[in-house]
Amino acid sequence: MNIAIMGVGFCGSFPASGGLSYRELIARAAAMAYADAGIEAEQLDGAVSVEEDFVSGYSIADEYVPDQLGVQRKSVYTICGDFLHGVCSAAMQINTGQFKLLVVEAYSKASNILTKDELLHFSYDPIWNRLGVTPNYLAGIEMQQFMECSGYGPQDVAEVVVKNKTCGVGNAFAPYGNNINAQDVLLARQVAAPVTEQMIARPADGAVVVVLGATDVALETARNPVFLSGTGWCSGNSVIERRDHAVSEGTIIASQMAYKEAGVKSPAEDIDAFYVSDLFAHRQLMHLDALGFAGDSLARVNPDGGSLAVGDLFEANGGARLVDAVNMLRGEAGSRQIEGARRVVVQGWRGLPTDSCAVVVLDSERRTS
Amino acid sequence: MTSKTMGNRVAVIGAGMTRFNRRAKESSGELTSMAVEMALEDAGLTIDDIDCVCLGTAPDAFDGIHMNGENLIAGAGARNKPYMRHYVGGGTGIMSPIHGWMHVASGKFKNCLVVTEEKMSPCVPHPAGAFITIFDHTTEQPLGLTLIHIFSIEMCRFMHTYGYTEEEIARVSVLCKKNALDHPAAQIAEEISVEDVMNSPVLSWPVKRLDISPTSDGACAIVLSNEHFAHSLKKAPVFIEGVGFRLDTAYWCTRDLAYPTYVATAAADAYRMAGITKPAEQIDIFEPYDPFDYKALHHMNALLQDKSGRKIKDLLLSGAFERDGSHPMCPSGGALGVGNPIAATGLMKIAELYFQLSGQAGKRQVKKDAHRGIAQAWGDLMQVGTVVVMSSDGAMPTFQSNWSNKKADDLPGTPLKDVKDVPHIADSPDLRYSWDNGLALTTYLDGFKEGKIRGSHCRNCGRMMIPARAFCEVCNLKDVVDYYDLPDTGTVMTYTLSYVDWDSSKLPDGKMRIFAVIEIDGAGEDMGLIHWIDEVDPKKIKIGMRVKAVWKPESERVGNVLDCKYFRPLKDGEKADDKPVRIKPVELHTETVKAFPGRIPLSYLYTAGIAGSKFYDELAKGKLTATHCASCDSVFLPATAFCEKCMVVLDPEKDARSVDPKSGMVIGCTVVHEDRSGHTLDKPRVVAQVAYPGTVGTVLGMLDIDDADEAEIGMMVELTRAKATGAEHVVFKPAQ
Repeated sequence: MNIAIMGVGFCGSFPASGGLSYRELIARAAAMAYADAGIEAEQLDGAVSVEEDFVSGYSIADEYVPDQLGVQRKSVYTICGDFLHGVCSAAMQINTGQFKLLVVEAYSKASNILTKDELLHFSYDPIWNRLGVTPNYLAGIEMQQFMECSGYGPQDVAEVVVKNKTCGVGNAFAPYGNNINAQDVLLARQVAAPVTEQMIARPADGAVVVVLGATDVALETARNPVFLSGTGWCSGNSVIERRDHAVSEGTIIASQMAYKEAGVKSPAEDIDAFYVSDLFAHRQLMHLDALGFAGDSLARVNPDGGSLAVGDLFEANGGARLVDAVNMLRGEAGSRQIEGARRVVVQGWRGLPTDSCAVVVLDSERRTS
Repeated sequence: MTSKTMGNRVAVIGAGMTRFNRRAKESSGELTSMAVEMALEDAGLTIDDIDCVCLGTAPDAFDGIHMNGENLIAGAGARNKPYMRHYVGGGTGIMSPIHGWMHVASGKFKNCLVVTEEKMSPCVPHPAGAFITIFDHTTEQPLGLTLIHIFSIEMCRFMHTYGYTEEEIARVSVLCKKNALDHPAAQIAEEISVEDVMNSPVLSWPVKRLDISPTSDGACAIVLSNEHFAHSLKKAPVFIEGVGFRLDTAYWCTRDLAYPTYVATAAADAYRMAGITKPAEQIDIFEPYDPFDYKALHHMNALLQDKSGRKIKDLLLSGAFERDGSHPMCPSGGALGVGNPIAATGLMKIAELYFQLSGQAGKRQVKKDAHRGIAQAWGDLMQVGTVVVMSSDGAMPTFQSNWSNKKADDLPGTPLKDVKDVPHIADSPDLRYSWDNGLALTTYLDGFKEGKIRGSHCRNCGRMMIPARAFCEVCNLKDVVDYYDLPDTGTVMTYTLSYVDWDSSKLPDGKMRIFAVIEIDGAGEDMGLIHWIDEVDPKKIKIGMRVKAVWKPESERVGNVLDCKYFRPLKDGEKADDKPVRIKPVELHTETVKAFPGRIPLSYLYTAGIAGSKFYDELAKGKLTATHCASCDSVFLPATAFCEKCMVVLDPEKDARSVDPKSGMVIGCTVVHEDRSGHTLDKPRVVAQVAYPGTVGTVLGMLDIDDADEAEIGMMVELTRAKATGAEHVVFKPAQ
């Protein structure tokens, strides 16, 4: 599709980040991304930010995007989605032929939100779905129905937590990486049975900035571009009374789009690493099923430890995975490097109460289809 | 950006919209579905023909739903389709077709359904209260600002710079409300005079009630397609020729408020793509955003790329903006006449260009032979311009459609006098925050505690910046490390005399508050802050007045912007302070690192919508109602006012199907241990998802059971009579 990721920046992840305003957090990530891409902010045509009003605490939060990216008075707009939705939108924008160089940004100041459960409850439909109890109730129903239909059990879900948190021990960006066992997960405090506290990613602060360019620009400018070969996004059914909670229909359709565009025929064989949303541990397994990578080794999944280790960065979640994926394809992932990784898939999910997902396929080398 | 004119052409091939109402009975999703059904019908398509959907809606604070775009997926027809929501505040309505254009012009999709919606009425006591949180939470919100203040401030500067009188500006309001008499969606169309505008209550001088568009509920949708598909249709397509969108700095007190350069730049982008070199001569119809009457003129200056403003003033005073004039402006009736459900308003303007340029506008059709039009929206903190140029393909088509003769009764959307007249649900979310001040604002706010106004200085561009920042936004994010105490004197750049509070409530009789943008001495040109002015005769305040800060006593200062009580005029002979003094910034450690407290001070009254009203009315009688869709022969639970598979509007009364409330079976359940705020419950409760024979869907509610651990899949339950409207009152009990 003639789009390359030219540079990435990630300032995070922190359980709290007092001492840096959200502007300063983002500016830090932007400076990293621009240096990585070999550009200055003034060269950019514009930006796509990914934000939600009530997470930032602002109404029309897009107002506060341009300055810390250095793109004031440029072509800037905001997407509501996972970071990867922003990447998908920026890719379309470049492919119109009218734009060459764009930046995608999302951040989390989760530590500044004092009433996160109230906020999540507020995202449920006011007529049908605000039940007055923990908004994680939908995760309980999902995990139960997923296990009922897939054959996975609580132990399998707990193993996801163990694996991701253990991976996080080797990741400097992962404040929640630790050594934990399955019993620790299963016997943890219950929130919405069978979901325990340990199966839920903990909130964290951080900013992710990624520079996208038309391939011709990227090849001229960037030190080590990675190529975007396919994008897809879908929200499944938003009516939760009529959604099949055992599968992520959003991921299935999004991955079909992305795979078709990238020419992926056999995901389990063609893909070297999968980065998927694990905001709830059962969702990692559900997303892998949807991506056509079920029942296989977890070694190639979320090598960075996922959100369970890095933290829930809200809209920036897919961005954190994408940054690690780019490093992986560059052979710069350090101790978690998968040797010879040439093609990876990154999937993002918006979290409860949605099934809104996006999928991108990245390649270390430019492919012509 | 590239210098290319537009390659892949994208056409508008259908439009739909609801009536714009002050309060609509329908829920947000129901309004959206109604606009979508009409747009599909107008395009001659079904939802199955649609490749992807994009949706625009402005702040979530109106609809009162966090992640509102997710809630609107079904109503937007986006079930199992690629779907994205975008927004740029008030500029969203024109950003929507631009985002849709990206979907098609990129070659990724052959068509795109573009949907916009705003339901402002749930926000109580007044939707205007939602605007307090558009301002910077730390440096501006404590002053009690709302949107009308910033508009009034800008209007004052606009009048000062371009020499307009209030009467001249009022002509725009008169024109729009008159034009709207012919628009079927219109909310406040009427024949009024300039005197009526002048005699309407002053809300925040110079803004009077009739200078302003209303708050509204409404939805609008269009269908975009690629050129090949558009030409295969029987009717004339209208093509998007050029697009532009530009977002300026959030530091709005540092900007020229008289001329919106960001709109001019966005228009220049669109003109480059469209090959337009003389907009005043090459554009036939203008639909600038007109949430306030002066805004239309403010934007028109930028659309004509004329910073002198002379051309637009001449056109206004000569009557050229009338429908039969040389430069018809807002032939739809605009936001001032049709109404202003923010995002839907912008797309309504795109729909108007589509109607006008394809000859479908009926009584609103402009007299001249129009081939090209421009629509524009604006928003955020006086900051974003979004522009679309459209043209008919070749000769002016003559085409009579359903749209040519539509009347108000032909459009969906049910007006309400009061939300409490229908089944409704109240909610007051407890949304509290604590914002990290960070490196620069810590030093800035510490200055207030010291009785000082502090800036930071960029060594690259030489600007002294207020509020202090740690990087320079115009110098490639260069680090800024030099901090200064500035004089606490300055010059009034613009102001407003306000009689309304942040929530739009009237200040007590005799009370008035003056807000002013003040250029601080020692800071750069146009580098100002907003604050209150006092100790002044309101009749004597003027732009250019010299003022000085009045501080609270040192013992009362806490390190926020209210440590400065207000600014007062400099007295005769009183001298301003000395030049800036360089200081050591505050070093951050665990005692100096601070966060600023904040909350979203909003409450909501939601209508239960058409479907929810039927469902909860029946449940109050112990009955369960579903809705039948004849197109797919499905019976949906819970009741619905549209079929999300077929995207046809249903009538929950006429299409109702009774379901036995005792025939439910649990297909999902979870024992929950926390309340909605995350506090541990005294006793765990059970949420159940319950299916009923012969229906598609389920009902979610609480399961009233003694031992939570006994709840299980397959359990038979019965639905109990609801005591009130709302999901919290949906309760099952084990079947007898």
